Amino acid sequence: MQVELSRRKFLQGTVALSVAGGSAISATNLFAGADTPEKKLSITTKTGTAKEVKLVPTLCEMCVNKCAAIARVEDGIVTKLDPNPMFPKSKNMLCPRGNAGIQALYDPDRLKYPMIRTGEKGEGKFKRVTWDEAFRYITEKTVKILDEEEDNRSTFLFCAGEGMAEHTFQTFYQAFGSSNWLNHSSICLQTVASAYGVTLGAYPQSDLENAEYIIMAGANRAEAIVTPDTMDIFKRTKGRGAKMVCIDPRFTNTAAKADQWLAINPGTDLAFVLALTYVVLDEELYDKAYVEKYFNDFETYRSHILSNGYTPEWAEPITNIRAKEIYQIAREFMAHAPKAIYYPGRRSTFAKSDFQLRRAMAIFQALSGGIDTKGGLVFGGKIEIEGHESLMPLYDKAKERGVVKTEAGYADCAVVSGGGSWLAWRNNFLEGKMPYSVRGMFCYKHNPMQNMPNTKKTAEMLKKMELVVCIDTMPSDTVMYADVVLPECTYLERTDPVKTFGGTEPALAQRNKVVEPMFESKPVNEILRGLTKHLSRPLFEVTKKYDTEVQDALREEDEEAYYEEEFDMTKMYSHDQEVLNTHAVHAHEGAAEALKKYGVYYPKMDQYYKQLSANEHQYYPEKEKFYSVGEGRPQTPSGKVECNLANMSSKGIDGMPTWREEYRFSVPEGKFRLMTGRHAQYTQSGTSNNIVLHDLMPENYIWINKRVAKERGIAFGDKVEVASSTGKTVIRAYPTEKIAPNQVFFIHGFGAESSALTWAYKNGGSDNAVIEDVVEPVYGAAAMHETNVEIRKV
Amino acid sequence: MARYGMALDYKNCINCKACEVACKEENGILMGADKHRIWVGVKEIKGEYPLLDIVSSSFEPSQCQHCESAPCQEVCPTNATYYDENGVVRVDPDKCILCSYCMNACPYDARYVDDRTMTVDKCNFCSDTRLARGETTTACQATCPTKVRTFGDLDDPESEISILLRTREHFSLKSHLGTKPKLFYLT
Repeated sequence: MQVELSRRKFLQGTVALSVAGGSAISATNLFAGADTPEKKLSITTKTGTAKEVKLVPTLCEMCVNKCAAIARVEDGIVTKLDPNPMFPKSKNMLCPRGNAGIQALYDPDRLKYPMIRTGEKGEGKFKRVTWDEAFRYITEKTVKILDEEEDNRSTFLFCAGEGMAEHTFQTFYQAFGSSNWLNHSSICLQTVASAYGVTLGAYPQSDLENAEYIIMAGANRAEAIVTPDTMDIFKRTKGRGAKMVCIDPRFTNTAAKADQWLAINPGTDLAFVLALTYVVLDEELYDKAYVEKYFNDFETYRSHILSNGYTPEWAEPITNIRAKEIYQIAREFMAHAPKAIYYPGRRSTFAKSDFQLRRAMAIFQALSGGIDTKGGLVFGGKIEIEGHESLMPLYDKAKERGVVKTEAGYADCAVVSGGGSWLAWRNNFLEGKMPYSVRGMFCYKHNPMQNMPNTKKTAEMLKKMELVVCIDTMPSDTVMYADVVLPECTYLERTDPVKTFGGTEPALAQRNKVVEPMFESKPVNEILRGLTKHLSRPLFEVTKKYDTEVQDALREEDEEAYYEEEFDMTKMYSHDQEVLNTHAVHAHEGAAEALKKYGVYYPKMDQYYKQLSANEHQYYPEKEKFYSVGEGRPQTPSGKVECNLANMSSKGIDGMPTWREEYRFSVPEGKFRLMTGRHAQYTQSGTSNNIVLHDLMPENYIWINKRVAKERGIAFGDKVEVASSTGKTVIRAYPTEKIAPNQVFFIHGFGAESSALTWAYKNGGSDNAVIEDVVEPVYGAAAMHETNVEIRKV
Repeated sequence: MARYGMALDYKNCINCKACEVACKEENGILMGADKHRIWVGVKEIKGEYPLLDIVSSSFEPSQCQHCESAPCQEVCPTNATYYDENGVVRVDPDKCILCSYCMNACPYDARYVDDRTMTVDKCNFCSDTRLARGETTTACQATCPTKVRTFGDLDDPESEISILLRTREHFSLKSHLGTKPKLFYLT
């Protein structure tokens, strides 16, 4: 076998950084001094040169997965992060981002001190203040607004990104009493999680360790935020125990590891699944016993699929996948059932049909009987822990969530879930459609400027808000629009709430503080402790003024006792996280100690856990694993697979997955369909200023078909302008045959506009500057792949 | 005394580059694309969309081969490149004069210049970091999400690597050059 080995050739187009001297970051390189980027940093530290060494088990926060890591601390400096082999979820791995977590801690650009805005919004001019000054400023503004709005608590929006302390921040939102909560759901997993939820009763996990046949469609598991639960499959493809069929418009790294790759037209996966279902129903390949026992409305669904004529021949021109391949896949899948998986996916919504697609996938999977069983989709076990203390006072004057209603329901989407619809909310706010005025927002670890389509509109929204408070670790594009900036410490500087991880091998895991917080940063628990100390009582005074129910109550009750019992927000944050965690796991003997010592706990861990080889460990013996927890029973309230959702039909949503002509893929001549995605070396905008990751991939490139690029005179590295009705971005070109002639693709998270980010500032192209704000009709998710763009060499 | 080698289950590699970062963080390697001790080679895919040759796009994780008959050691005029007691090909920065003969001699392109010391650097199986404090895996092996690598003593018949090489088919890179590499690619 011939192997080409010129790494320098392969690495062409990457930029070498000049680096020298120093070890830790300089304390004088403050946020405000970022005009002249200080690029001469010695980034890495050789391990083993210090006197004092400490190893601390922690959990990674470079993405959502929370892999277990062991931090090596030498003379107080974190020099290395290694995988912690004891955690069944992450199984002794740490991806490139996990390894680069050290740089999140020592990023010279990180937020160091509380700040108050001095310049225009977006300009990034701030003055350093004390924590007390920041809290006083927030209190003054908040009280003024709430007084003017007569204690309508919903005048404030609360939003948060995903993370272990998101719940801590959410308790603040609940105690504050607003109805406006927006989190990452509607720009992330909302439609897939909900569709599996209403169909199977839960969003299941995939037993990729034992599956024999896997359809990996629209899921780029080798690249997109490398997820520990999907690594097993890459050890078994290519004739090594499992066959993986990759369905993706692009030839991804996942396609390279698959046994078969089929290039599908973007947004037409629903037609593909409907055709697979047709074959299975028509040829009666499904698991009849399972269907008999666990399906609701099977006959209705069967006749719906058959009578609509969703044949492979029908699907061929829609999907661009040949009919004979659809037949082949349907038959092979069912031949391997129940050890066959149509991977549910864990990505944001791409097309307007996404909810229906996920429903169709869930039902197709269920037809195989591969539910709650080894080698199929599994619900798994879970270790119970106690929740955290929260406070939910009733504010009579607080109005309900800011949504636009119609006679049939909501104007923007059929269902408004807990996390809300970010796009619909923002657009209603800008268009003055809110039922009352929203004037301020608290934003935790969230970057709306870069995380959702149509950056211009988000900037407008942030400008319109009278008070924007950002709690974050980095001076993101959103932080640039903040009135008050509160610096949170990074994940390596704090203990977070202990978390339970369900699955075939359930466990508890805890993020332990590795080093003390740098500068004046604090964990969010302590930030809220300080903030509520200032804010809680004055807000209660506003309530007293306007809330007649409270006034009535106070006629009979002692004010101090009443306040303390119902309205005192400070009490939620009076304990340190370590204390709260010990309490949360007190029902499990030895858990608190194990979580501190190993970072991981599960019952009988001391008996079960053992190293099998240098690379492999046993967490649970095979017979103790939670492959099946209900003998195949779906976890819906009815205990059945729900084929037909009557309550959805009443909201104008198809009760059964149905193909609509509007879902068809088409691109006007001369334009391109824009696709976005994730990468193994970057998570989201939050990792775009990480110097070590930047070193692996200095900027993002737009994939454009090689032949098309040639026609247009675009060569590798040429700058092109990508434009849509939303806006423009400039990015370098990567001509390749891995993409279709009428499509383009680039990685999300680049092209930051915050000049306080040395490496991310104006580096590469920003997808959300271009993606149009298309709201998915069921949950109001942002549909990310519905935008056509023009490309011009600049 | 050992004879260290590494087996690579290279079909597992998804080109995530966790190994590259782990190596840089462990060994204090400089930033810069041309400063890698370790890398993943990628080949341009063959064909025209959508008719692409799926096997033409493979990932080749690689690093210094720690040849038993290393061309870089042969050409070094100052004996800066040497075999240590474990058969690991090492560089003594005090002796290196940056003549770069070794860089030209290496058929695997495994060497680069460290701009701080102005000497040639390369993979040393974490000999002066992890192995020096008694650990038994290299940084690249430990971190790998798909567990491509197995590091160990080729002289110990009971070591995991020896068992792997006895039981699995494998090949070496550019074996026709007679360099006797100690990196083995499992098929």
